[in-house]
Amino acid sequence: MDGPHDLGGRQGFGAVETEEKEEAFHALWEGRVYGLVRAMTRADDWSIDWFRHCRELIAPLDYLTRPYYDQWLQTYAAMLINSGLASLDEIVSGKASTAAPELPAPMTSEYVRETGRRIALNSEREADTPPRFGPGDRVRANMMGSPGHTRLPGYLRGRCGVVEAFRGVHVLPDVSAHSAEQAEPLYTVGFEAAELWPEAGGRRDRIFADMWESYLEGA
Amino acid sequence: MTDHDSAKIQHIHEELHSHLPSEPALRAKALESLLVEKGLVDPTAVDAWVELYSEEIGPKRGARVVAHAWSDPAFKARLLEDGTQAIAELGLEGYGGGHLKVIENSDQVHNVVVCTLCSCYPIAMLGIPPNWYKSAAYRSRTVREPRVVLAEFGVQLADEIEVRVWDSTSELRYLVLPQRPDGTDSWSEERLASIVTRNSMIGTDRDLSTDG
Repeated sequence: MDGPHDLGGRQGFGAVETEEKEEAFHALWEGRVYGLVRAMTRADDWSIDWFRHCRELIAPLDYLTRPYYDQWLQTYAAMLINSGLASLDEIVSGKASTAAPELPAPMTSEYVRETGRRIALNSEREADTPPRFGPGDRVRANMMGSPGHTRLPGYLRGRCGVVEAFRGVHVLPDVSAHSAEQAEPLYTVGFEAAELWPEAGGRRDRIFADMWESYLEGA
Repeated sequence: MTDHDSAKIQHIHEELHSHLPSEPALRAKALESLLVEKGLVDPTAVDAWVELYSEEIGPKRGARVVAHAWSDPAFKARLLEDGTQAIAELGLEGYGGGHLKVIENSDQVHNVVVCTLCSCYPIAMLGIPPNWYKSAAYRSRTVREPRVVLAEFGVQLADEIEVRVWDSTSELRYLVLPQRPDGTDSWSEERLASIVTRNSMIGTDRDLSTDG
């Protein structure tokens, strides 16, 4: 979707605030929200892509101004309501007024310390799909965006680049955010800065992005 | 059952915007109380995650990997070939490390990592990302004017050095392998790790100081 999250190349946001205390959380509530998200029982039809899409759907003004973990909180609140695990009244009051959903018991602190901490998300899938492109191939990114979730950034649409590497067959976010999983060859593609930005002429910089096969055509 | 309907989520966001208290700490407290009452979360598991990321899972892990790569060429080769497998050798596997790609700086090349679409970050190596990494300014500008952004971090690059910007659009996570400073040949891995900054592994720092 063409939402406020698609920030690559947008202008006018000013200087980066580089001075920041190096600590995991700057306030107690930030840590609580992060920990809650990692510890809570999830509906079995949620995916990382559905979460990302739900965050993208926050109203643009809120997306650009509310604190980061506050956006996570609102996103999970919306997902809980949408999946029937909680009601709006319950989220607002913090008190349960409907029966608890029948889901497995939540993870324990022992599980977090012994097992959970080592678990990584794996988006790669076993597949015989031969990759259509190889390193060195010239490709063009789709000109059209998507009304739903996509990981093709707006600033790369219609632009030509060169395949840097084939990365294996990975879950396609565009599909996984909205229905059952589907996997596709994934590539890292390099784009010359001058191909993307009118003011970049002469600069030798390159921008790399990971792109699924259906984002690309031969060029 | 989740319907995966964008319009419905948008509507729920509007309702939450109107009804939730504006203070994030109050919102967080209400959500935690509710999830505990509904049996969807064990508060001691939340404590455990907070403790892990506050004390253990942070940039020291990435620095250990970098120092080990500087000291052991065979490990460095394995790290560049398959980051995920290499960090597992050191027992550092974890969330945000499932598809780790390590990219190496050189005299001719400087790498810098960004996520323009959200906030993807090699958490298993660097812990929780700083606010600036998640800010609109960093996300919008790093792909467009990386040299100007780097200058704001105090990194001045000669024109001859190529900048490679890595936009984390998939589940691959990028970690920069900074250059080992001269004059550190006799240093232990522990001492080497102590000079590797978090920002040097994101790419917003380049020349590591040996004075510290």
